Amino acid sequence: MSDQSSNPLASVMDGLKSWARINSPWVIHYNSGSCNGCDIEILATLTPRYDLERLGVKLQGSPRHADILICTGPVTRQSKERLKRIYEQMPSPKFVVAVGSCGTASGAFRGCYNICESIGDVIPVDVYVPGCAPRPEAIIYGVAQLLEMIKSGAPSAEMRKAEEPAAVEG
Amino acid sequence: MSLSLHPLIVLLFFPGGLFLLGSGMFYEWIDRKLVARYQNRLGPRWFQPLADVVKLLAKEEIIPQGVHPGLFIILPVIALASALTAALYTPLLGLQPYYSFQGDLIVTLYLLSVMTLSLGLAGANSINRFSLVGATRTITQLFSYEAPFMLALLGPAIAAGTWRIAGINEFAGQSLWMILTQPIGFIVALIGLMGKLELPPFDAPEAETEIVAGALTEYSGRGFALFRIGKNVELVVGLTLVSAFYLGGLMNPLEFVLKTLGLLLVMAGLQSLFARLRIDQTVGLWWRMGTLVALLQLLAIVIGRALPGLF
Ligand code: SF4
Repeated sequence: MSDQSSNPLASVMDGLKSWARINSPWVIHYNSGSCNGCDIEILATLTPRYDLERLGVKLQGSPRHADILICTGPVTRQSKERLKRIYEQMPSPKFVVAVGSCGTASGAFRGCYNICESIGDVIPVDVYVPGCAPRPEAIIYGVAQLLEMIKSGAPSAEMRKAEEPAAVEG
Repeated sequence: MSLSLHPLIVLLFFPGGLFLLGSGMFYEWIDRKLVARYQNRLGPRWFQPLADVVKLLAKEEIIPQGVHPGLFIILPVIALASALTAALYTPLLGLQPYYSFQGDLIVTLYLLSVMTLSLGLAGANSINRFSLVGATRTITQLFSYEAPFMLALLGPAIAAGTWRIAGINEFAGQSLWMILTQPIGFIVALIGLMGKLELPPFDAPEAETEIVAGALTEYSGRGFALFRIGKNVELVVGLTLVSAFYLGGLMNPLEFVLKTLGLLLVMAGLQSLFARLRIDQTVGLWWRMGTLVALLQLLAIVIGRALPGLF
């Protein structure tokens, strides 16, 4: 990074890239075992009432096209592998927003035998949006926080994870 | 109106290259904004398509397992290149086309189809089942709208008695608007253009609620961006062709902007009015209705032109 910032062309390119990233966050939505309450709120967020297209947000069907994975619910053991696979199918740079108390710390399902603790245990999460279920405003605020983070140039959870030594598979 | 420019400028800036890319993005924005307004939303900001493209170009490109890597990389380039080449033969901005010869109408139509063909090949190249279904639908749709679309554009050509786009454009500028003399041809051409661009209600090939993103499911980053730009360029070229033929020709930049935007207004309205057709309904609509009607229209024109000679 340090030798790049001395080069004016590279810094302009970096600025352009982060401008484009902030203004065109395409999302994909995955339910990793939630009660569906959070998903309904996410869909409400995407309706004309809140019209996220005015901020450049678009819902994509394919993980290959998405930048942000919006994920809900405690990760059940059944969906753990799928969640990981969807995350790995996304091209870098990618970001994750965990929506709902369940995604944050298993919420209403705490202590169940069939879940992992939270989304953060399976894939690196950038922003947690608490609430059961969070209102659309809260979800928009969470995504806005993520965009702020990209703007400030702070390393995303993906980058921090890559720097860590690989954890032993449990 | 015509300008003489250095060939490099023609290819890189105007009317090829930068101008086309810029106007393609601009028309995409207008289209999305109009659809948003029809749906009572605010819609995207004016730089949205640019941000999308820059972001996609800056993203990682994943070449999935099971594809032919060479084809995977080259197909988006071919698609974009053919769309850009097609633009050289059309009266963009109301100016004379830069290259023009007898029969360039047919060449342009084929160049526009190459884009769809590479889309289909791109889908068939991958082992993803959604891509495969999308590719099948793309090619099926190609076979259904191509004939009526071509017939609808042949109508003005026969009326003008020339196969040069520039000649037809001139003829259209001097005579009565052909939307009045050949209304059926206009409707078929407009709907054919929507089918070509896979806009709703003809978006079964990329129906995101059933088959994720159709043929482009496996594309990320650069390839996806190039396909998107190619589609935008095709939108501009298609709008130019239809409005030059049916809306009284394009003689100056003002006419170009007004007529193509007017056409886009109608197209955006149709997009938000109709729900998606199933692929068999699309094919049925085109072969049972579109082709027959366009053929009748063509027959009428041929007879109309032949009759005065007989008596
Ligand atoms: S946070 Fe509440 S609404 Fe969301 S998945 Fe958990 S229980 Fe359901």
